[in-house]
Amino acid sequence: MKKVAALLFISALAVLLLYVVASMPPMGDPDNPTATHVIPRYLERAEEETHTVNVVTGVILNYRGYDTMGEVTVIFCALAAVLAVLGRERRGVIHGFVDRSEVPASVIVKTMVRFMVPFIILFSVYTILHGETSPGGGFQGGAVIGGSMIIFTTIFGLYESSRRIPLKVRAPLEGAAVMGFFLVGSLGLVGGGNFLTYAWPRVAQGLHPSLVVWLTVLVEVGIGLGGAMVLTSILFAMIREEEEIAPAS
Amino acid sequence: MAKDIVAGIFCCVGTLFFIIGTTGLLRMPDLFTRLHPSTKCDTLGACSVIVGMAVHNGWSWDLLKLAFIVCFLLLSSATCGHAIGRSALRRNIPYWKKKEANEDGHGA
Repeated sequence: MKKVAALLFISALAVLLLYVVASMPPMGDPDNPTATHVIPRYLERAEEETHTVNVVTGVILNYRGYDTMGEVTVIFCALAAVLAVLGRERRGVIHGFVDRSEVPASVIVKTMVRFMVPFIILFSVYTILHGETSPGGGFQGGAVIGGSMIIFTTIFGLYESSRRIPLKVRAPLEGAAVMGFFLVGSLGLVGGGNFLTYAWPRVAQGLHPSLVVWLTVLVEVGIGLGGAMVLTSILFAMIREEEEIAPAS
Repeated sequence: MAKDIVAGIFCCVGTLFFIIGTTGLLRMPDLFTRLHPSTKCDTLGACSVIVGMAVHNGWSWDLLKLAFIVCFLLLSSATCGHAIGRSALRRNIPYWKKKEANEDGHGA
């Protein structure tokens, strides 16, 4: 009976989905919604309007700044939810995690991780700062920093990594993405324009292109730092164990 | 023209190694034998593809980036192979033996 009901439900769903697929616009048609509304404008005028060479960054941070700000807020809310469930480590107390693996990491792996992590972080800085001219950007760079922290923590343990990025550094930087957006958006309000428009009619008719690029880079750095710290904090909250381990002298 | 041919040969060799490595990964019987072809993918395959790209690109600053990529690829993939193999060996993960050798109680 259950199987028959499931089969009926799936067939009904399939008919519905196939009907929707059949009524989709043909691929590559110039009258498609993807080729008629805002996309041509993005592609043709992004460089002169947003002053970023990379159209993707121009769309994400300038044309659709509100959207990206919402995404960044979602990431921050994810951190808040994780911390609400798992709890934050207490200030001044160094937590450890018990290494229950049967095989401890070998000298080769430890040496390689110690050698590579600075280069990984250097690469992510490059990714963040080059986001407005080449593929890359704050989200990707932040994720790379978070990944390097995951490698470091799994090899060297929570004690070593939380000593390098202590809570008092992480806590203010976790909101950096939202704060960067808010700062740049408020500068637009102060300058007489709208929120997050990169145009300050009260100060100058059109902002100097390099200033717009610097504002974009500021938002990008905020996203990168905030994303990296959020990932690190979620990792620390998940890997932390309640028993406190005395630091190995 | 000659540059394109050399670059094409290097990229084809690299792709061949990737195909061999993937086949080995899917067909080999246990972890240790699978580790052998899959690490070949990263070193030989990816490195010859990158050498092909370097030849195609000619002398420029991008060569430096490609050299860095090769360095980190070699370092990290060798470390990964070492870590996986060592961990599997220390955990006494059983390794594959030929059927008839198994009945004698001797390893192949």
